[in-house]
Amino acid sequence: MLDIGGISKRFGQVRALDHVTFTVQPGELFGFVGSNGAGKTTTMRIVLGVLTSDGGEVRWKGRPIDADVRRRIGYMPEERGLYPKMKVGEQLEYLARLHGLDAADARASVERWTSRLGVEARIRDEVQKLSLGNQQRVQLCAALVHDPEVLVLDEPFSGLDPVAVEVMSTVLREKADTGVPVIFSSHQLDLVERLCDRVGIISAGRMVAAGTVDELRTGGAERIDVSGPPPGWADGLAGVRVVESGPHGTRVELDGASDQDVLRAAVAAGPVHSFAPHRPPLTELYRDVVAAPAVTEEES
Amino acid sequence: MTAPLTPGRAVMLVARREFTTQVRSKSFAIGLLVTIVIFAIYIALFSFIGSQSSSNTLGVTSSTASLEPALQAAARAQDRTLTVTQVDRATGEAQVADGDLDALFDGGPGSWTLLGKDTVDSSLQQVVSGAVQQTTLTDALAAAGQDPAAVAARGNVAVDTQEPVDPERGQRLVLAIVVAVLLFMSLVGYGSAVAQGVVEEKSSRVVELLLSTIRPVHLLTGKILGLGLVGLVQLLVLSAIGLVGSLATGILTIPNAAAGALVSAVVWYLLGFFLYASIYAAAGSLVSRQEELQSTIAPIMFPLFIPFIFAVSVLPNDPRNTLGTILSFIPLFSPTLMPARAAMGVAPLWQVLVAIVLTILAIVGVVLAAARIYRNSVLRTGSRVGLREALRSRA
Repeated sequence: MLDIGGISKRFGQVRALDHVTFTVQPGELFGFVGSNGAGKTTTMRIVLGVLTSDGGEVRWKGRPIDADVRRRIGYMPEERGLYPKMKVGEQLEYLARLHGLDAADARASVERWTSRLGVEARIRDEVQKLSLGNQQRVQLCAALVHDPEVLVLDEPFSGLDPVAVEVMSTVLREKADTGVPVIFSSHQLDLVERLCDRVGIISAGRMVAAGTVDELRTGGAERIDVSGPPPGWADGLAGVRVVESGPHGTRVELDGASDQDVLRAAVAAGPVHSFAPHRPPLTELYRDVVAAPAVTEEES
Repeated sequence: MTAPLTPGRAVMLVARREFTTQVRSKSFAIGLLVTIVIFAIYIALFSFIGSQSSSNTLGVTSSTASLEPALQAAARAQDRTLTVTQVDRATGEAQVADGDLDALFDGGPGSWTLLGKDTVDSSLQQVVSGAVQQTTLTDALAAAGQDPAAVAARGNVAVDTQEPVDPERGQRLVLAIVVAVLLFMSLVGYGSAVAQGVVEEKSSRVVELLLSTIRPVHLLTGKILGLGLVGLVQLLVLSAIGLVGSLATGILTIPNAAAGALVSAVVWYLLGFFLYASIYAAAGSLVSRQEELQSTIAPIMFPLFIPFIFAVSVLPNDPRNTLGTILSFIPLFSPTLMPARAAMGVAPLWQVLVAIVLTILAIVGVVLAAARIYRNSVLRTGSRVGLREALRSRA
């Protein structure tokens, strides 16, 4: 289990991370979401030891992460980085060897991953001659080439075309299925919802929610989507708040009333075509959570 | 499979990448080739000048033929070979025009003439005017009833030196200048290659990926070792070509001193490189883009320039210059100045050893400070990192 335990980090007067805590199980795809500057990249950099935290600890299998463990993590930095003038194959082999592979294993692994990600034809080309999408694939190869025990990917989907998004998703799922904990950050919330086992939402340096998308839904008040009755039917109904109302239906939030109360009121107002609990997508959950006044101003 | 990566292996892997990338680059091959060609031209030029300039052909007419013994004596005194041919005026003029004769000597007392094609070699002018003056003086003295030999003896100044004159001084001078040029070239060239390499990793952001698996100090050490080795290879190749070429053509006749100078150049290159490469690396880590690099590494050029200029301009005329001696003990100046002085034969062994010890002490201090600056600034992008901040802050 990858255990991020209460890490904090300050940059001068700015509190970048405030006791950030979450865990990622082996085999789990963990989506890390938050607005720009919320602390995702800082958290990942601390996991990789590229930054040191001011407090808290990152543990893998119960032990604090040291240099040897870090070498077995696959990392894709937010700022993509490869030597522009080095050939794809040589570059990946070099990185694999820096992670401890011997020459023969490094070569075999480079062949395996470049063909898996469809860039094997470019092995002898300089990185700078590749399209951005292909550079991104090579960057993912760099994170995978040493057969990592943990994967940490900062915005792996940004800038990818739909085909590449599919390839990337499949590879991440496959890695997770082999028992590797995978963390990745993304702003594409629908993708995160579809792909991830669990999601963590960070806002202004604090984890404001973490769990499966279903778990995140349980926090809020229950909402019901009703279609059929003419618009305005729920206005003034006791114990109910109308969230939105339109020609396609009405969404109400239960505030004291039961779902059966609402159903009776709806049927009384007109024929009901559909009546179902609203399952808010991650986008909506995210908006609610991040909009909540969890943001702390800098004290001291 | 994955094995624990020892610091030594990490450094070795980085060093090997730096070495192969640099050696395979076009700029390395072209740079080496150009330098070799320049070297070869110099050697050819020196040996050509050496064989040509010390001999002259002079035509004399019936009116000046009697001066031949005096002319030959004057030529010998100046270490020159003179071939004298008697011709009539018209033939002589034709031969001067054809280049068969360097000059034609004609005329008589009060109206001596020396005719060249478009110029007359200044050494030949000295030989001829010396001979004429000597003859005129001798004749005048004899006419006045004086013994010319006795008069000459009275005006004689005996020149002596406290220490034996070094007959190879000229060659040592050339060696010293070559050593200073080579060291200066290598330190500036490969020092700035280190700075550029650091900035390349920063600007391409690959450094973050590297530092997620190896420590900054290993990356830095590997880079310095790899590029330092390239510089050493270049230095050895150039020195070997220079040595063999100049020994074979007879420009250099002191193989032992030359070999000594080579060994000292290698030792001082290594010391100087560790010193300067660390400074260059630290400077490189402060900026994020190649365009900002020049202004940051410019100050590093000064401590390299000062001893270099000193070695090639002051020392040749005044090898025992006091300021030069003092400067050659200052670690930043030692790597170019001390080997130059040693090659001139004016630096006793104890001075060289003291300078080596001082430089090693300086290297320890500089490397520690540079590693700290590098570690603190190599991951910081955007505006240039202040030096004081880089030394103080903790990543």
